Amino acid sequence: MTAAARIVMNEIKGYHNFIKLMMVLVGIGALASLVRFIFGLGVTTNLNDTYPWGLWISFDVVTAVPLAAGAFTIGIVAHVFHIRKLEPLVRPAIVTGFLGYSLVCVGLLLDLGQPQRGINVLRYWNLHSPMFEVSMCVMAYTTVLTLEFLHPVAERFGWHLPLRLLRTLELPFAILAAMISTLHQSTLGTFFLIAVDKLHSLWYNPLLPLQFWLSAIFTGLSIVIFEASLVHKYMGQPDESELLATLTKIIPWIMGVYLCIKLYALAFLTHGPLFDRPVLLALFLAEIGAGVILPMGMFFTRKIKTDKKMQLRAASLVIFGLVLNRFNVSMFGMEQPGQLIYAPSIIESLVTIGIIAAHVLFFVLIAKYFPIFEHHPEATDYTIPDHFHRIEGHESKAGHELRAEG
Amino acid sequence: MSTTSIDFNKTRTFLIDTTKCTGCRGCQVACKQWNQLKAENTHFFSGEGYQNPPAMSEYTFTRIKFKDYQKNGQNEFAFYKEMCMHCNDPACASVCPVGAFRKTAEGPVIYDDKRCIGCRFCMMACPFGVPKYEWSKAFPLVKKCTGCYSRVKNGKEPACATACPTAISYGPRAEMVKEAEKRLKAKPERYFPAIYGKEEAGGTSVLYLTHQPLDELGFKPITKRPLPSYTWQALRFVPGIFLGVGGTLSLVSWFQHRKDRIRKEEEERAAAKADSTKGVNE
Repeated sequence: MTAAARIVMNEIKGYHNFIKLMMVLVGIGALASLVRFIFGLGVTTNLNDTYPWGLWISFDVVTAVPLAAGAFTIGIVAHVFHIRKLEPLVRPAIVTGFLGYSLVCVGLLLDLGQPQRGINVLRYWNLHSPMFEVSMCVMAYTTVLTLEFLHPVAERFGWHLPLRLLRTLELPFAILAAMISTLHQSTLGTFFLIAVDKLHSLWYNPLLPLQFWLSAIFTGLSIVIFEASLVHKYMGQPDESELLATLTKIIPWIMGVYLCIKLYALAFLTHGPLFDRPVLLALFLAEIGAGVILPMGMFFTRKIKTDKKMQLRAASLVIFGLVLNRFNVSMFGMEQPGQLIYAPSIIESLVTIGIIAAHVLFFVLIAKYFPIFEHHPEATDYTIPDHFHRIEGHESKAGHELRAEG
Repeated sequence: MSTTSIDFNKTRTFLIDTTKCTGCRGCQVACKQWNQLKAENTHFFSGEGYQNPPAMSEYTFTRIKFKDYQKNGQNEFAFYKEMCMHCNDPACASVCPVGAFRKTAEGPVIYDDKRCIGCRFCMMACPFGVPKYEWSKAFPLVKKCTGCYSRVKNGKEPACATACPTAISYGPRAEMVKEAEKRLKAKPERYFPAIYGKEEAGGTSVLYLTHQPLDELGFKPITKRPLPSYTWQALRFVPGIFLGVGGTLSLVSWFQHRKDRIRKEEEERAAAKADSTKGVNE
């Protein structure tokens, strides 16, 4: 036991300082969430009856879910549209999605008053509740992502039968992921349709669910670019900018549709005054200008196909725009004039920082110990699921991979 | 939660005539007593005026709001009893993921604290800001006016309505609406010409008559449509979209894979042909 512990300690000592910092942040976040359970939500957060939802819902749920949309979007592009050369991008995106959704569950449980009763959602169905739908979808999709994530795990440990099964299920899973994601990404927008006289007209319109879905798709693809660029820059992985160029061709069109729908809704489907709150107007313009129009313009240029830096910059802008949009809808736009303004407490912030750090940390660790980048099509025999008798060739291949890993 | 089977003409309804309210706050006290709610620290002029406690909370389900105004050069008070509106089609019941809220056939909208998971969506959704949270607890639940369901079920009137000496009438909704209209007609100079709650949020089981214009008293102008219809207009597409997305993507993938297979077969055939011609030449 002590020997095992020593091995683990030595392993950790060898890590980069950045990873150690992430570990510390995760630790602080875990402590902060413990404090929440001991002393209660009222004392540890700045939530109150005026602001029942704060940072944990706005970021950990409403923003984190579209940020984890990379897994299903790249799944559609690579598997359903069968653009096989994009295969190397799929696995890292699935890991990101798996971590993202697992942490959404953590954030949601922290925010619930009665987390131990979470299972009640499965016992008492309320089909009229957007929250019911989202929780069912998040549970289902986290399961799907876990199964998809088992893929590199099975490869790592050489579990042949599960691996063959998972490969057979790759395409059905990609389609199922898209079905479930479409529902809950859009339903997160439906949440705010009930806030008829609360959410400001700049954001409130009946097409909110459609906008949430579209923005999740182009942000999901941008996240794939963002993550692949960073992984290339800081983790010494091969440069995928050629593959990313394919994505840069798809993203701006979805953004264009999104922008048209947004402007249409703004022009014809809103009922209140639009320009009565200067701060909200500024936030709206920042979201649309810097977060949608600017990156869309960048994606439409020819230069972005080859320019790595520009890809990263455009993707970062898209992510900024999405985060601002979700905060505008779920927090800023809900504040009524004359109300005290909500700002998260230290505990709330530490927990959210811990959750973000946990995402980075677990991604780096998983990338370190599991084959998530070596998944290039030339190294993988895709015919295996169709020919179960070919297990001999597969076995030697898995063995080879293990040796390469060791 | 579906409320289609409820006859809203018969649901018990409060008619609160604020012009008859003397501001005695007997309703507040009766509510605290019947529901065994803790007292709160109060301060004079802590909120917008004389009203105390400063806001409804987990300990205060109803309270009288005071509004100073001038009439013929004299200072006057207007009062407004704040409480759960017991909507005909309540937003809280529709958004609750576990269906903890229910509109009863008797009238009150009731809350089942055994089901609640504490997500606070009801607080977000309620247009009147009624559900309150037990912020003091580590594992909080929601608290709100029960409409004294246990009393109403047994043929009694709610505690506040029983205690009120002047302003609250309680009875079937159709009768209360008729009564309110009668009063408006009989003394038009006494009343602002509107019944708050008749159509607000699709109709509620609390109706108000006022002398002041509604917004001056602090009544929020809210939509006349039942709030659940706003989310349902999107949610009703869910099964269709689920199957539609699945079907479309399955078709696309079948087509794309077929294209790939055909291309591969053609390549193989071409290769085989090249092989055979090579063999002939040799």
